[in-house]
Amino acid sequence: MKVPLGTIAGARSGDKGGDANLGVWVRTDEAYAWLVGELTVARLKELLPEAGEVVRYELPNLRALNFVLHGLLGDGVASSTRFDPQAKALGEWLRSRHVDIPEALL
Amino acid sequence: MIRIGNASGFYGDRLGAVREMLEGGELDVLTGDYLAELTMLILGRDRVKDAGLGYAKTFLRQMEDCLGLAVERGVTVVANAGGLNPRGLAAAIDKLGVGARIGVVTGDDLRADFPEALTANAYLGAWGIAECVRAGADVVVTGRVTDASLVVGPAAAHFGWAREDWDALAGATVAGHVLECGTQATGGNYSFFTSLDVDRPGFPIAEVEADGSSVITKHEGTGGAVTIDTVTAQLLYEIGDPAYPGPDVVSHFDTIELAEHARGVRISGVRGSPPPETLKVCLNSLGGFRNGTTFVLSGLDVPEKAALVRRQLEGALGTEGLTWTLARTDQPDADTEETASALLHVTIKTPDPKRAKAFSRTAIELALGSYPGFHVTAPPSDGTPFGVYRAAYVPRDRVAHQATLPDGKVVAV
Repeated sequence: MKVPLGTIAGARSGDKGGDANLGVWVRTDEAYAWLVGELTVARLKELLPEAGEVVRYELPNLRALNFVLHGLLGDGVASSTRFDPQAKALGEWLRSRHVDIPEALL
Repeated sequence: MIRIGNASGFYGDRLGAVREMLEGGELDVLTGDYLAELTMLILGRDRVKDAGLGYAKTFLRQMEDCLGLAVERGVTVVANAGGLNPRGLAAAIDKLGVGARIGVVTGDDLRADFPEALTANAYLGAWGIAECVRAGADVVVTGRVTDASLVVGPAAAHFGWAREDWDALAGATVAGHVLECGTQATGGNYSFFTSLDVDRPGFPIAEVEADGSSVITKHEGTGGAVTIDTVTAQLLYEIGDPAYPGPDVVSHFDTIELAEHARGVRISGVRGSPPPETLKVCLNSLGGFRNGTTFVLSGLDVPEKAALVRRQLEGALGTEGLTWTLARTDQPDADTEETASALLHVTIKTPDPKRAKAFSRTAIELALGSYPGFHVTAPPSDGTPFGVYRAAYVPRDRVAHQATLPDGKVVAV
């Protein structure tokens, strides 16, 4: 079913210099198994076309993925001309993107 | 067990939180984080104006209001509010006349090594704080220590941890990471906020055990919640590789175990390993001057309106340093003027303050000779200086981490 990712996933994002980080987590092991397969770097870039170089880290103990979006914020918050220069709402943007989520997880 | 609370996640956080935390229940230590990359730049500009400034002024107000109460209750206050001038802050606190024993942690300021920077501060660890706490300080003020050190330092002093107690240090670091952004651990800025009462979340507390494990909780009767989800959210904030490097220990976030607990969430299982040979340095430099404005484009022909004003502005000013973004917030056939409107943002970044100022005049001179419906969301300013952030890494021995104890004795850390 095509629904917002945020139906089952939480997220929190922020800045480290010119990089943004975006943590995404879900609340069951089944949902995590799906998330790891679905939310690849390539898929994240499709959902957030503004992303450039992206690295993904897995934290199965937290049922979470952490993405580092390199260079998204230029020379950091004080210099960036981005709409959201500290990437505070990057996670909420991702949660609003529609993806195919298996009905069993909804 | 040692109960360590937090009353600040940034310079500008809830002013009354120190009092709330002191009056709301039992605590051994109350911490406050006031520093971020951007804050160092703001304090750097303060220091240019007045060499006596450079610390978080709101913390001094909080101490004026509450330090007597903290001393009376036996709560040690630990904050990095010293910013670029921890000694200046300590002197100002001393002048409050409470008679509190003050410890100061210094050595982070590396301007001598980076003379081109406005601010240059190494991220110090927890051991200077631990020295001050061990010496009986009522309040410890620091410069740029890592946020988590505010929790690790008092815990290390309390339990007598050694520098190689990697797992305990990592456990306390994780607790510190959860606390460092205040109410972001208790339901603030939380994705599933509709499922909680987050109108006024309470500030978080870590009950740290001798092995570095902890229970994250908050004072009874405060708003928000501490759940596995609210703690998970904060654990994911501003991290990179799960092997999270710090000045005292590498904390392995992929070993964290979370469990529900009667008073909140229990954190255990965290593994630590030796820290890197180098310390990270936060560098802020002045990058130039910036200015900007937002043109409101309402109704029909939005792309053409944007193109016209862009041609006009660039024709008068040139294209150098300009960044344009057209946000198509407009909807067709809208029943309010605002939802009929798109926003065209333009920013200029330039080394030349005159050019940043000329931007405003040029934009406003278009007001009667541009697209139909011309207006801007706010009049442009004269332009302001902007900072550029960069991280550097220095060998540990380049940094003279020092604790000045309440009796004035200086200890090399």
